[in-house]
Amino acid sequence: MYSDLLHALPEVFGLTNFFAVIIGVVAGIVVGAMPGLSATMAISVLVPFTFGLEPLVALGLMAGIYNGAMYGGAIPAVLLRIPGTPAAVATTFDGYPMAQKGQGGFALQVAVVSSSIGGIASAFALMLLAPPLSKVTLLFGPSEVFWVAVFGLASIIFLLGGNPIKGLISACFGVFVSVIGSDPIYGNDRFTFGQLELLDGINMVILLVGLYALPPVIDLLETPLKTDGIGKSQLGTEPIWKTLPRMKHFWKTWLRSSFIGIWIGILPGAGGSMAAFMSYNEARRASKNPEAWGEGEPEGVAAAETANNADTASALIPALTLGIPGTAVAAVMLGGLLVHGLQPGPMLFRDNPDIVFGFMWQFLFGAILLVLLGGSLATNSFARLLNLPRPLLGSIIIVLMLIGVYSIHGRMFDVYMMLGFGAVGWVMDKLKFPLPPVVLGLILGGFAEENLRLALRIGRGDWMVLFSNVTSLVIVALTVAVIVGPILKKKFARPKTQDAT
Amino acid sequence: MSDRHTSRLLRPETLTAIGIIVVAAFFLLATTDLRPISALLPGAMLSGLVVLAVALLVRDQRKASDGEPPVQLSRAPMRVIGAFALIVGYALATDFIGFYPSTIAIIPLVSALFGFRNPLGLLAATVIVVGAVYLIFDFGMSQDFPAGRLWQN
Amino acid sequence: MFNSIKYATVIGATLIAGAAMAQDYPEKPIEVIVGYSAGGGTDVMARTAAPFIEKYLGDGASLVVKNVPGASGQIGVTEVANADPDGYTLGTFNLPGMMARTIDREADYSAESFTYLANVVNDPNVIVTSKRSGIETMDQLVEEARANPGAVTVGMSSLGGDDHFMLIKLQNLTESEFTIVPFRGSAPARTALMGGHVAMGILNISEVASFQDDLNVLGIATTERSDFAPDLPTFSEQGYELVNGSMRGFVAPKGLPEDVEAKLVAAFEQLNGDEEFLAAMAATSNPVEVVTGDDFQVLTQELWDLAKAVWDETPWN
Repeated sequence: MYSDLLHALPEVFGLTNFFAVIIGVVAGIVVGAMPGLSATMAISVLVPFTFGLEPLVALGLMAGIYNGAMYGGAIPAVLLRIPGTPAAVATTFDGYPMAQKGQGGFALQVAVVSSSIGGIASAFALMLLAPPLSKVTLLFGPSEVFWVAVFGLASIIFLLGGNPIKGLISACFGVFVSVIGSDPIYGNDRFTFGQLELLDGINMVILLVGLYALPPVIDLLETPLKTDGIGKSQLGTEPIWKTLPRMKHFWKTWLRSSFIGIWIGILPGAGGSMAAFMSYNEARRASKNPEAWGEGEPEGVAAAETANNADTASALIPALTLGIPGTAVAAVMLGGLLVHGLQPGPMLFRDNPDIVFGFMWQFLFGAILLVLLGGSLATNSFARLLNLPRPLLGSIIIVLMLIGVYSIHGRMFDVYMMLGFGAVGWVMDKLKFPLPPVVLGLILGGFAEENLRLALRIGRGDWMVLFSNVTSLVIVALTVAVIVGPILKKKFARPKTQDAT
Repeated sequence: MSDRHTSRLLRPETLTAIGIIVVAAFFLLATTDLRPISALLPGAMLSGLVVLAVALLVRDQRKASDGEPPVQLSRAPMRVIGAFALIVGYALATDFIGFYPSTIAIIPLVSALFGFRNPLGLLAATVIVVGAVYLIFDFGMSQDFPAGRLWQN
Repeated sequence: MFNSIKYATVIGATLIAGAAMAQDYPEKPIEVIVGYSAGGGTDVMARTAAPFIEKYLGDGASLVVKNVPGASGQIGVTEVANADPDGYTLGTFNLPGMMARTIDREADYSAESFTYLANVVNDPNVIVTSKRSGIETMDQLVEEARANPGAVTVGMSSLGGDDHFMLIKLQNLTESEFTIVPFRGSAPARTALMGGHVAMGILNISEVASFQDDLNVLGIATTERSDFAPDLPTFSEQGYELVNGSMRGFVAPKGLPEDVEAKLVAAFEQLNGDEEFLAAMAATSNPVEVVTGDDFQVLTQELWDLAKAVWDETPWN
């Protein structure tokens, strides 16, 4: 198999194939950086178009876009507090405070270096460990996946913000939105009120654009200022090689977050946002000064951005070997493979080694190119966009939001739904309801329910089926240790501190 | 704010809490048609929302009794309403009149209304955005945007 | 006033179009509505077939695929049913799914809403078991299901699909009872089978063709062996009369002008003998079985009857 890997290499360096990766990375950064446009949308628009392209050109474009967009999403997350892609939500936590402190440039450099490292780690996992890692995926049946989702949902506790009541309202709202659509088992409608457009559930991108992009646009128009507060001078961009030494001590975070990202990627369904949230939480837990997190800690940006790129290539491991994509973007990419007659499965590696392994190389080169293309070039040009007069910037984002949401399924219904979420999001923003629990609730709520109910059917209604195997028990133990443990510790520690004050 | 004493029920948090309770209760009614296992998760979330919203309501009313001023939603409510109305109007126009005419109109309209009136800048921005969208999506990717329901049928 | 003028113009335009159509159809691009996202099995079928249809229609005909995804294809097929029957809107059609949807939920179309052009793909069902289940033959499977009713868990892609109807047929034929575990789509069901989380699965041959080493494939629900797996015995060879599968084809709105319909059906008919087309379909794992015109309509009616009978006995939602 490793000889196949090397055999595929010359093909990748073919002029058009390599050029496709470059174009893809640049396009990905742009798409990710535009509030309203997402990687999912970009690749779904691209898939029918790639029908007429050579497989490696098409796949190179997609690999490049995926890698580029996962970093590109960080740019508006840092500069405007609008995550450009769902996976960049956790990047706003520390990225935006950094920009407000005048370290926006450094935040973006941390983001691009971390993204690249995560992407490289993930590409290596895909190239070298795909078959054994797909065996790991097989261990996860419905009951195990249910517990993984519970683990993710429990970690919402860390995202509640200062006001637990509001945080929990956000979480319940997110989970409720996730169950709208057809019932996962019976297929009957739930809360769709006869709208066929709602049957497949509410797409993550629609909710995200509404909640995260619309309120800042309203803010841009609300304040009668001519230009934005973040000027060129305040961005504080230095050449990237000068800032690299300041990132050296992130190596532990890079390592941990890469591992988390790869691991979440190979589990079907959970996806980039969960990887970023989890790795952010873990990095904060391991940090010596957790209080500084959320106030502009560069390591927070590093954790989120490493993880959301580390699940790109690894999400393709279950997609290529088993046909079950690890993230929403990988799901769309799977369509791009099918268009070229590349059926997922063990035969794929035997029948089309040059294409499959070439695709893996393209992921690796995409991740490496990210630093070169995203480093100074993209960062500087996008930061300059923010110097546009605020009303103009606002109106352009409005157009992008409409295009981004419309293009996912090609229907106006989604645009209206996005505006509805936008109104809700604006109120939530003003009343300080935290938004991350909504996102995590939407991703994991329906996912947890579906797997719980599948597990119950397998166990024929016996709830003990959830505890009947080792993998499940390990995840339950992990959930208790990582989430319940620290909370109990805090509870027991509290009386002492109260005595002291 | 001067209307602090007008009504305790018009405080934004109180209104939001009442809104959540009403909407959640409405959806709770819709769960009664479902199988028990199907209604379990949505029912739990909606009941949770009702309980939490009641807690929010009680807390905000306590704050009101303590004389704490309500959260201020916006410094310029008219601008917010105007901006939102323009965005909704843009979506409706795209649907009924078509994507390109609406987009050509909305960029200068929003910018001019909210304070950026340099004609050259507006022209340049509109041409660049609409041109790029056309070249990339329509020409490059043969992606169709709404042509306007008024002109079809 | 404005409306009436517009109305008159539209009517006029339609009449002119109708008159012109008789001679030189097609004179503009034909839209093919696919009810699924780009890259799905149905989409790949439509895009693979499109150039061949263009070839057989002749006169520089052009087919443009338009994806209208949502609600398992229902949104797209409804759009086809409501389109003008002028031959410039065609759509893909999935069986038994499209018929089952008219039974298990409100649908704005019925079997009567279409002009049936051709079914192109027939992907037969297969029964597979997990390597861990220890079940290697149909007889073992039936014996186990009879001895412990409901103990055998069956992974499949959804309720109300071809795999579900296949299981109902199996249960009726062998008087046995299974527990259905409906995953979302066949790939998760297949993965659960490989991991041993469910004992048995009902899938389609195109979905297991490349996984035959990782699963026990017990048989195929066709009358003759499939080219995709020539070594795989049919169920009838093993003494079980089971024939079932998932079908994909093309329809147009009801009321197509007769000459247009004839021209389209003739074009689809020629697909069957086109080696190049058959090779392209085989490369994308699509077993071809072309059934055109009235035969396709009869086939659809049969599947509606089957779905209705199953629904009346054991409604699935």
